[in-house]
Amino acid sequence: MKIAGNDILIQSLINEGVEYIFGYPGGAALHIYDSIFNQKEMQHILVRHEQGATHAADGYARATGKPGVVLVTSGPGATNAITGIATAFMDSIPMIIISGQVQSHLIGTDAFQETDMIGVSRPIVKHSFTVDKQENIANIVAEAFHIATSGRQGPVLIDVPKDLTNPDDLFDFVYPDKVHVRSYNPPTKPENHQVSRAVDAILASERPVIYAGGGTISSNASKELRELNDLIDAPVTNTLMGLGVFPGTHKRFLGMLGMHGTYQANMAMHNADLIIALGARFDDRITNAPDKFAPRAKVIHFDVDHSSVSKIIEADIAVFGQIKDSLQAINNHLKTKIDEIDNEKLAPWHQQISDWKEKHGLNHDLYKIEDDSGPILPQAAVQHIYQESQGKAFVTSDVGQHQMFAAQYYHFDQPRKWINSGGLGTMGFGLPSAMGVKLAYPDEEVICITGEGSIQMCIQELSTCSQYKLPIKIFNINNLALGMVKQWQDMNYDGRHSSISYEDSLPDFVGLAESYGHVGIKITKNSELKKGIAKALSIKDRLVFVDIYVDPDEHVYPMQVANGSLKDLWLSKGEKT
Amino acid sequence: MIQRKLTLVMENKPGALARVVGLFHQRGYNIDSLHVDPIEDFEPFRFIEDELGIRFQVGEVSRLTIRTTVGDKLMRQILRQINKLIEVIAVSDEESTYLKGILRNENLL
Repeated sequence: MKIAGNDILIQSLINEGVEYIFGYPGGAALHIYDSIFNQKEMQHILVRHEQGATHAADGYARATGKPGVVLVTSGPGATNAITGIATAFMDSIPMIIISGQVQSHLIGTDAFQETDMIGVSRPIVKHSFTVDKQENIANIVAEAFHIATSGRQGPVLIDVPKDLTNPDDLFDFVYPDKVHVRSYNPPTKPENHQVSRAVDAILASERPVIYAGGGTISSNASKELRELNDLIDAPVTNTLMGLGVFPGTHKRFLGMLGMHGTYQANMAMHNADLIIALGARFDDRITNAPDKFAPRAKVIHFDVDHSSVSKIIEADIAVFGQIKDSLQAINNHLKTKIDEIDNEKLAPWHQQISDWKEKHGLNHDLYKIEDDSGPILPQAAVQHIYQESQGKAFVTSDVGQHQMFAAQYYHFDQPRKWINSGGLGTMGFGLPSAMGVKLAYPDEEVICITGEGSIQMCIQELSTCSQYKLPIKIFNINNLALGMVKQWQDMNYDGRHSSISYEDSLPDFVGLAESYGHVGIKITKNSELKKGIAKALSIKDRLVFVDIYVDPDEHVYPMQVANGSLKDLWLSKGEKT
Repeated sequence: MIQRKLTLVMENKPGALARVVGLFHQRGYNIDSLHVDPIEDFEPFRFIEDELGIRFQVGEVSRLTIRTTVGDKLMRQILRQINKLIEVIAVSDEESTYLKGILRNENLL
């Protein structure tokens, strides 16, 4: 059967098992939208801004592990998607972006809504394709999905000139069963000599730390990580991107490390004799000053991307491959040497960590404050959200203090439940990504922890939630200012609060939510906190926007001292290690 | 810091050269000189075909030569970043060669 380019494109997506496509129509994409109208297998979600489409697809991808799919038109439609593509790229999230383009004969003429999208997106995609003829569309889509979902995952863009989706030109449609890109060959299984060197180092270690990042989640290696921990009993810390890959309530869990990581996680890394890095990339929010990083530690770096290893911190042993395959190999090798594993020698190390935790660990009992004489602490708000959702919700967040409080005080026991923009730090991510998660898991609790700054960057998506009846629970940790910027200004600029305040012009969030047909709840006192959050979570069929007024002067601690080592931390206002 | 020569074998596709050049800018490296032409004599590159189980056709692949001035550690990072570009088939400096993920400790190009 012969079909047109627009139908080839949509049928190819259906062949890839796409359930949802997030997008916004426009001139150059209209043939494609006509094709969407004529099919039933895939649902299009009409967002209110293309950035929302990319974040929604991203949230869907992070929660499910399947690629998120975005469709935008040329010019402004495409450029509006850029922030969301960059967000996915920085966190290695699989995504397919289809951008309409002006007709082939108009390319390069500065035609209406023409942008060189391949050029504009080049530094923030894993790869990109321009469709050159209709006969190649099916192969391009298959290659795009293969590249986006294998190796180190990432966004792949397909730019489609309008004339190549013309419904009048018909072609044979055959979707390829198998894809092979000859110049693309990511590693999967590790080499034996790497595995045996890593195992020898593990067996020799007395102060090991497992440092697991987002790559452990994208490789679905949570089970293998737990098995490794069962075998060697090493403490585990997670990066912001790795939270949930190891149970947050496990006795060997140290909490998050890095800029706002726990005291015990940063101290354990600093004093370790062996760091087992799993799908983590030693970025600057982890290492602080690289030359002072973990001075006594040998580093084993597991990664699927050669260029991540020894980029910042020199690895003593590199294990290339998917984390899941590499951990299976390590665990199997360890089991052959079970007699040589002596976990009792780790007792002093566990004791030391427990002492650190005792001394400066986070206070997880702030939710017990019921007294209304002081303001609501943002940490207590997150603790209540954790308690009332029994720690089982999907939690998306935006960027800033609320994000760090959520990462510190909501304990994730499963991977893919914590959805946030770690690498790019994109404000506006929380609400649209929650839409993607809720569409993927309609029966699960989906919570967005945000702030009054971030939520206003994509607040138009409240309308999308209304259209598709997405009963997300939004908790707005409202401190009346850009809290993280304010904290830096307090600490580094003698409290000169430049351009962080909009107190007098904030909307009435309750009224705003109601105007979109949602439920709004305002909480201003400690004594209302538990009840208000419980009420919001009890409403199952409506979106609830909970506006929680918190202490505007609270800071996030611990916080790494600039250019210090991992043991150099601010513990509270004016108190340093 | 010394000047080094990098040699690439890459797919001759629209936009491929821009990805390589763009990478240097994105990562903060500088290009001293650049030369590119299509490969017509495949004889010196048969080992790539054998290693990757592929056969090149006339007009399909290009050779790119880049000179850049960097230290050792950055050179290794540049090689790895270039190797990661889809459409780059092989890349080498004076001491090593990447064949799509396979590292050889000699200059094979």
